[in-house]
Amino acid sequence: MKDKKEKSSNSEFTPKVVGFLCNWCTYAAADLAGGSRLEIPSSFSVVRVMCSSRIDHNLLLTTFFKGADGILVAGCHPGDCHYGEGNYYARRRFAQLKKVMETLDLDPERLELVWVSAAEGNRYAEVVSDFTEKIRKLGPNPMNSSTRF
Amino acid sequence: MKAKVGVYVCECGPNIAGKTDLDEIITYLSEFRGFGDVELVVRKYGFLCSNQGKEYLEKEIRDLGLTHLVVGACSPRDHDSTFKDVCGKTQLNPYLYKIINIREHCTWVIDDMDKATEKAKSYLRAGIARVLYQSELFESPIDVNPDVLVIGGGVAGMEAALALAGENRSVTIVEKNDTLGGRAGKLRGFSFQEFNKPEQVEKLIETILGNPCINVFLDSEVTSVIGFLGNFEIEHVSLESKVITELFCGSIITATGADLYETTEESGFKYSESDDVYNSMEITEMLSSGDEITLRSGKEPETIAIVHCVGREELGYCSGVCCTVMMKTANMIKARYPDIRITQFYRDICLPPSGGQELYAAARSSGVNFVKVQSTGLSGTTVKFKEKNGDEGEQFFDMVLLASALVPSKDTPALSELLGIPVDETGFFQEAHRMTNPSATTTDGVFIVGTSQGPRNISDSMLFARASAGQILTKLLVGEKLVPEVAVTEILEAYCTGCGNCLDVCVYGAIYPDEARGISIVNEAICRGCGNCYGSCPSGALRTKHFTNIQLFREVDEALR
Repeated sequence: MKDKKEKSSNSEFTPKVVGFLCNWCTYAAADLAGGSRLEIPSSFSVVRVMCSSRIDHNLLLTTFFKGADGILVAGCHPGDCHYGEGNYYARRRFAQLKKVMETLDLDPERLELVWVSAAEGNRYAEVVSDFTEKIRKLGPNPMNSSTRF
Repeated sequence: MKAKVGVYVCECGPNIAGKTDLDEIITYLSEFRGFGDVELVVRKYGFLCSNQGKEYLEKEIRDLGLTHLVVGACSPRDHDSTFKDVCGKTQLNPYLYKIINIREHCTWVIDDMDKATEKAKSYLRAGIARVLYQSELFESPIDVNPDVLVIGGGVAGMEAALALAGENRSVTIVEKNDTLGGRAGKLRGFSFQEFNKPEQVEKLIETILGNPCINVFLDSEVTSVIGFLGNFEIEHVSLESKVITELFCGSIITATGADLYETTEESGFKYSESDDVYNSMEITEMLSSGDEITLRSGKEPETIAIVHCVGREELGYCSGVCCTVMMKTANMIKARYPDIRITQFYRDICLPPSGGQELYAAARSSGVNFVKVQSTGLSGTTVKFKEKNGDEGEQFFDMVLLASALVPSKDTPALSELLGIPVDETGFFQEAHRMTNPSATTTDGVFIVGTSQGPRNISDSMLFARASAGQILTKLLVGEKLVPEVAVTEILEAYCTGCGNCLDVCVYGAIYPDEARGISIVNEAICRGCGNCYGSCPSGALRTKHFTNIQLFREVDEALR
């Protein structure tokens, strides 16, 4: 019931979004977005990892349990992975996790995997803004705070 | 010992100081009690990356006896190593420090000062929270062997060997055939850019054989490769005597070349060995040997067809070199036999090298006929074709020349396995990065040059050979030690079930099974710390040393606080 209440006040709701960014592509794109003085929502937090393949189910689910409203994972375009094929593994794990999320009553839309290259500063800013807006519309993470840890 | 964390925020001129309330951040963090029993020193400084800034930081770490360091500044891509080096000069282990990217990820992208200040606080909290869970890591330099193994003695392999030998590196060439020179050797000076004179390849071979730094093994194949950048153990076997020779080297250049696509009846090419059908290698050999161009019957041909793009559709890629070869071939034939009528059946003409367009213009002006087609086939020396407008036709010729695509050499899959380097969707060896690192592979210390990496002409092959040699000369220095990546992954033996998932996903082959103990082991000298294996481990036995779960969780906690 609490969820519904929160959802009704969506216009003031500022979603907490965590972005796990690959060091080699998307993190560099985020730097480029900074260098180009593009605007990034202040509620978006970057966590740097070496490769999108490092992101496992535990890390993502725990981040949701801790209260994130949305998670964006971003890595290199297919074929461009600094480590050869890490992003392919990430993609596979994502497909699995989306199923798991359904069983937890978590909207799989709250999790997104995107490819952003080091040259795509503009695209990075767009992706982050669009995703944050999508999460704002979805409303707060419905996990009751008592189930969070 | 109580942790004493130094938090230093760089003003970066107006970039950070002008966009946030730094004093407010310092007061807030100094009073923040969310990290337990930890002493915090929070300060700001003009430009921490300046020499004075680095000296200031070094003095602070020493004088205050800091146990951890957080620097709020710019991107780690700019100055992570700068401050790591500062730590290296003090008692503080560089892995107990963390740079926080306030500039690119906060002040440059958030216009509102209050919001930027809050964000900077959040990122700095995350940095403090994380650094408290980081552990000391120690870099241990290892001795390296500067010698180089070159697999394949074609022009690319020879060029790389010469470039290295020029710097007094010991080079061993292992060549499968009984002569050096590869494909270019067979062409014997057929007018390619770098080989205008017939004796060029022979000269290169002579130089190689006379060079005291270069050791050549002919009729030999590499059978075993163990090790990593700086320390490879190789075994190669003589194909005749079956004698196995062991050698040690620090890096490997793969220059194993390519093969020509073989036509099949299914793809519409039906002819026998007695027909006058030749591929590009055969005709260029005939031309460059200076022999007359004759049919198998001994007669001189009156008509010649050149069929382009043989295999292109089946293979799915353009070889990019055959058009140039065929333009040269047509021009050479025309120059020697002006009366022979030549028809080229083409789909697209691709002439990337400089001078390519001129060759095409010369062929046109010498009366070579060009027919644009959708598809081609062969029945003996009768060319069957479908024109652009859909009309089908067939035409008899005395002789047919096939511009066959280049395909990976037959040894590629075996070598791929042996060297631990992947092949791409075309079956050629895959480079580390197509744009930014095209001659290296995902295995450190293993390079690919020439047509083993994909179709290319002689000058490009030699260019890549020199590029690889250059990388080796700057990466593996005589007498210097290498520092392997230390932020790697480890396996906690007590949790490992030996399932082998991590072995399967490791791109670098850094994990191997210890069958006696039923567990998997990480070779930390090869591991690059990507963390892919971490996600594959069902029992939680893996630990990515500098990106542990607890470190990441603490960052997340502060981001969500």
